[in-house]
Parts: sequence; structure tokens; C-alpha cells
Amino acid sequence: MLGAGLILFLAVLQGATELFPVSSLGHAVVVPPLLHLSFRETDPAFVPVLTLLHLGTAGALIVLYRDQWWRILRGFVRAAVRGRVADSDERLAVLLLVGTIPAALVGFFFVSALKSLFADPRFAASMLIVNGAILLAAEVFRRRDEAARGAPIAAPASHAAGDPAYEPLESLTVRRALLVGLCQVGALLPGISRSGVTIAAGLVAGLRHEEAARFSFLLATPVILAAGLLEVPDLGPDRPTALLGAAAAVVAGVIAYLSARFLLRYLRSGRLDPFAYYCAALGVAGLVLIR
Amino acid sequence: MKSSGPLAVLLVALAIVFAALAVFYFTVRTSLLASETAVHYKHAFVFTALAVLSLIAANFARPKAALR
Repeated sequence: MLGAGLILFLAVLQGATELFPVSSLGHAVVVPPLLHLSFRETDPAFVPVLTLLHLGTAGALIVLYRDQWWRILRGFVRAAVRGRVADSDERLAVLLLVGTIPAALVGFFFVSALKSLFADPRFAASMLIVNGAILLAAEVFRRRDEAARGAPIAAPASHAAGDPAYEPLESLTVRRALLVGLCQVGALLPGISRSGVTIAAGLVAGLRHEEAARFSFLLATPVILAAGLLEVPDLGPDRPTALLGAAAAVVAGVIAYLSARFLLRYLRSGRLDPFAYYCAALGVAGLVLIR
Repeated sequence: MKSSGPLAVLLVALAIVFAALAVFYFTVRTSLLASETAVHYKHAFVFTALAVLSLIAANFARPKAALR
């Protein structure tokens, strides 16, 4: 049975880490044993509570992009009826749909196998190191590309919003959106960050940092929301846990909203390197300290 | 997406298969693609969504009359 303190701790952890490219799930699996919290990842309430926290995060993303989501939904309906894409909102709707399908299908049909990995903190710690390597590799590729294009490497404003060397989100091709979506499948493993791999894939696909983050957040919303809604019936008759989970979801959502605003501002000039080093350090600590 | 009559037909056929699977999961107790034998409403909803998406994709793929 998960206690109230632990659920709120997980809420704060989830809200703070979900949208940063550091894997919230990896943190939820690795951090409690690192802190010697009395806690089993195999607890039947663990995944449903985590799912409610994800719903809070999805709510934060919907609030953050509420105007855009409204335009995307209307664009999707228009394009679906017409059978043709006519403007940037409709195009973005199609890109998001194409990018969402791989993770949604793999997550749904392999959910049991994936849940079994939640019980292994050392596996999650290993994946955190892999996540750090992915983030670092994406920045290395981007720096080489910037050098090849003659952009000033590591200059604070080298990938600012007005940089014409890299593309805005709406010009992404469907094939590249699908590739970003396929990368999102890897994030079903605890320790691999969904925002991390999709921002990294967006950078490799030629998006600006801030645009890659925007695509990552938009792409995450339907997957997180659907996964959360599908798990809600499995919460069971344990009402106190469900109510507590709902309150924790609100906490996670508020913190996730603030985190997303911060990350979008940071990525106007910052890079993924600090997150890569942090993930690698936490992964190493987990492998060394968790027995 | 480039217009293609055969692709549109293929996508409609796929939509019919998904719709049939949705009906199957709504009505039959099964362990197919699931962990236990039961009526799997989540699977049914997912296959319903896939059927709708296949129809939308077919609408994108079908040849359209030239714009005047």
C-alpha cells in the first residue's frame, strides 16, 4: 500500500521530471530505493498512481498549449473530412497523429512486459545512462551540423527562434515526424526520457531547440492522456488511494506546467548537455548504490 | 500523401478488419493479444480508433477531382 507521503513525494518528483529530458519514470523507479524509502515498485497501486500523475502532467500540457490544441483539433477534423491538408494547423495535426501512433500501439499491446521492467531499479539506472548518451549524441550531431553550416558553435543565441538555419515545426516532413514518433517508443522503457528522445530526434531532424521541445510536448500529450485514461478503471475500489492520487495529480500538473515554461525558455539559448550529465550521474549512482 | 486508388481500397479493407476486431473484443471473452481471458473493452476501443484512423487515411489516399 502506498502511503500519502510517498504518493505526494512521487507527485513532486513526477511533476518536476516529466517534461525535463531526464525520465520521470526512471526517477520514480530509481530515486525511492536510492533514498531507502519503504516502497515496492511491484505494489499494485504503483502503476495506477503513476498514471494519475501522468494525467496531471497531460492536463498541464493541455493548459500550456490550449489555444494551439484547439486549432489542431479543428484542423484535424477539417483535414480528415476534406482528405487533404490545407494549412499549418491541419499539417501539425497530421504530424502529431503520425508521430503518436507508434508509441501508442507498442505501449498498449506490450504494457504487461513493460510493467515488469518497473520492478528493476538497476535496469532503470542503466537506461538513465543510455538516456544521457542519447542527449549528448544529439547535441554533438547538432554542433557538427552547425559547424558545417557556418553557425557560431555554442553561442548563446545560435539556436534562437529567429535562426533561419533550422526549421520551424510546421515544415517538418511526415516521414521525419514518424521517425520522431518511433523514437518515442524507446521512452516506454523506464530511464529513457520521452521528452529527451523526442527533443533529440527533433534536433537531428533539423528543428530548432525550442521547436523540438514544442513538438515533444505536443506529441506527449495524447499518449500520456490516453495511457492515463486507460489505467483509471484499474484503480480499483480503493477510494482513499484514488482521491489521494487525484490530489497528487493536481500537484504534479502544477509543477509540470512550471517546468515546461522553464524548459521552453531555457531552450531558446540552452542545450541538452546539462541534462545528459545529470542522467548519467544518477544512473551511475543507482548502479553503484542500489543492491 | 500521394493519391492512390489501390492504397485507398487497402486502407478501407484494413478499416473493416479493425472494425471486425473491435466487435470481436466487445463481444467475445478471449485472451488474444491480452493477458487473461475476458471481454477486453480497452482492446475494443483501440481497434475502433484504428478503424476510424484507417478510414481517414483512406480519405487522404483516394484520388480526388482536380481543383477548378
